[in-house]
Amino acid sequence: MKLLIVEDQPKTGHYLRQGLAEAGFTTELAIDGTTGQHLALSGDYDLVILDVMLPDRDGWQILQAVRAAGLDVPVLFLTARDAVEDRVHGLELGADDYLVKPFAFSELLARVRSLLRRGSSAPQETALQLADLRLDLIRRRVERDGQRIDLTAKEFSLLELLLRRQGEVLPKSLIASQVWDMNFDSDTNIIEVAIRRLRLKVDDNFPNKLIHTVRGMGYVLEERSN
Amino acid sequence: MIRRLSLASRLALLFAACTAVVSLLAGVLFNRASEAHFLELDQQLLDSKLMALRGALQGVDSPQAFAQHQAPLHAELSRQPDLTLRVTAAGQRWFDSTASLTLPESPGLHSLRQAGTDYRVLNAPLIAGQAGSPQLSLLLDITHHQHFLQRMQHLIWLTVGLSALATALLGAWAARSGLRPLRRMGEVAASVSANSLTQRLPQQHMPAELAELAQAFNAMLGRLDDAFQRLSAFSADIAHELRTPLSNLLTHTQVILTQPRPLEDYREALHSNLEELQWMAQLVNDMLYLAKADHGLLTPKREPLALADEVEALLEFFALLAEDANVRLVREGAAYTRGDRGMLRRALSNLLDNALRFTPAGGEVRVTMLEDAHGVRLAVENTGDGIPAQLLPRLFDRFYRADPARREGSSEHAGLGLAITQSIVRAHGGRIFCESAAGVTRFVIELPRVS
Repeated sequence: MKLLIVEDQPKTGHYLRQGLAEAGFTTELAIDGTTGQHLALSGDYDLVILDVMLPDRDGWQILQAVRAAGLDVPVLFLTARDAVEDRVHGLELGADDYLVKPFAFSELLARVRSLLRRGSSAPQETALQLADLRLDLIRRRVERDGQRIDLTAKEFSLLELLLRRQGEVLPKSLIASQVWDMNFDSDTNIIEVAIRRLRLKVDDNFPNKLIHTVRGMGYVLEERSN
Repeated sequence: MIRRLSLASRLALLFAACTAVVSLLAGVLFNRASEAHFLELDQQLLDSKLMALRGALQGVDSPQAFAQHQAPLHAELSRQPDLTLRVTAAGQRWFDSTASLTLPESPGLHSLRQAGTDYRVLNAPLIAGQAGSPQLSLLLDITHHQHFLQRMQHLIWLTVGLSALATALLGAWAARSGLRPLRRMGEVAASVSANSLTQRLPQQHMPAELAELAQAFNAMLGRLDDAFQRLSAFSADIAHELRTPLSNLLTHTQVILTQPRPLEDYREALHSNLEELQWMAQLVNDMLYLAKADHGLLTPKREPLALADEVEALLEFFALLAEDANVRLVREGAAYTRGDRGMLRRALSNLLDNALRFTPAGGEVRVTMLEDAHGVRLAVENTGDGIPAQLLPRLFDRFYRADPARREGSSEHAGLGLAITQSIVRAHGGRIFCESAAGVTRFVIELPRVS
């Protein structure tokens, strides 16, 4: 997966590049609008991360050029401005998502993966699995090591989300949004409680822990050898 | 451009003009009356002289007969030195002591001015009612009357001038002293700055007309002072709130970097820093949200909402937390409105979060909805100790924490939740208030009916 980052602030560009590279993406960084537009129009990228405020031509102009050229590459906006008009403007021009600075990197990563996934129509799964944990989507049943685990509806949704995006660190805001449809930054510790409960059922009786907390970033479901 | 006249000058000029017009009118009337009076006197005098002359010249119808009557005529005329006489008959002058002035010919009383002297002339036939009778013209020198009238006129003009001047001065003085409270108001207004919003006008010394203005002025200063206090407290609070995590970050990072450490320590330090940073990012985002609300940029969508469903979703979200805290969540009633789902969920979530925080174990959080002709009333109430009445108005202030024991900068709350809720409710045109009594605290949101 190849990503283009158009960002004029060297520090931001650098850490975005590093973070995305370490998450397994090939990245290219353009530090001005002209280069950014040139690269974006080459059509070599699976996703473009675009800063709105750029020295020579702003992110909107680049987006317009990209869409005018008939490219439907997903575009994610980074903006320091949180005016509603900005947001609407960006989305009207054909942006796929936006993030307002300051944002958490885990949030950006999650959004990038969502956008990339949107393009490829994944085959309809009937079951999700990690190690000895198995979630049957049709019968809505969860088993671990052959033992049936009873989950509430929300716990099931939460586990399904973690399984679908296993290996990804999911920020709390994303979990709240996907599982409870709460699309605002909330400083409640509800997600912590929910994860704790899920752990109690899914992990506690088993030696091999699958749900991990990544401090300050979120939660990840993965098999760790230790 | 003509400079606009001051109020005092305008009033002075107006007073002066009024007085001048009134005194001028009085003077003109008096002048007219005197003139009419003199005319009457002259008429009477001339009439009586005419009678006397007719008596003296009885039966005279020829120059010869007239010559015989010269002696009594002279005697008669010498008694009245300012009276002169001309007698004419058929174009001939029988007698003339008038120094050959040109006289009007029609009968009756006339006024005449010739060679610097004023006369009253009375023309009448010697024998009344007889055609061809000799004509008598009596001339009365009225110069002294005219002098008197002229002096009168001078006096009138002087009075007009002086009284106008006097009232102008008086008016200017009255206006000035009357407007002194306004000047004082201006001085206070001029001295108002961000640092001196505490000045007030002394209302009790104000004239009744200005007391109301002064009151409004003072009230405005009060509101400004209040808003400014809040604003400066807000900036101070921001600095204060950010100082704690910043100093944590600084010292922690510096301490970690002073000497080589195992990798795990660095990781731990970064994690700890991350938590502080996230808290700060949340704080900044919340403050930006409030700033947007302050600038009227919070424009809610108006989608039809079944509030019961929204509340249900939120209660489901909070269910785990409530269960953990052993608090019952109850929903009552239903209501429909138009609003922004995301914003209203956020507002309600803050209220529920707040309610759960202050409900003791075994307590209850109850959300009730009610819809009537005026709109929607939604209340979030919780059992517990309640909030002292004097703290209620401050609950929605930014950074206000009802529980002073909670350390600022703790990873929990920055104390912006209720302020944000209030902003959202206001953006929807509604209002929010809190009532607390008898172990129940209730936050009430009232949203107007939206067609």
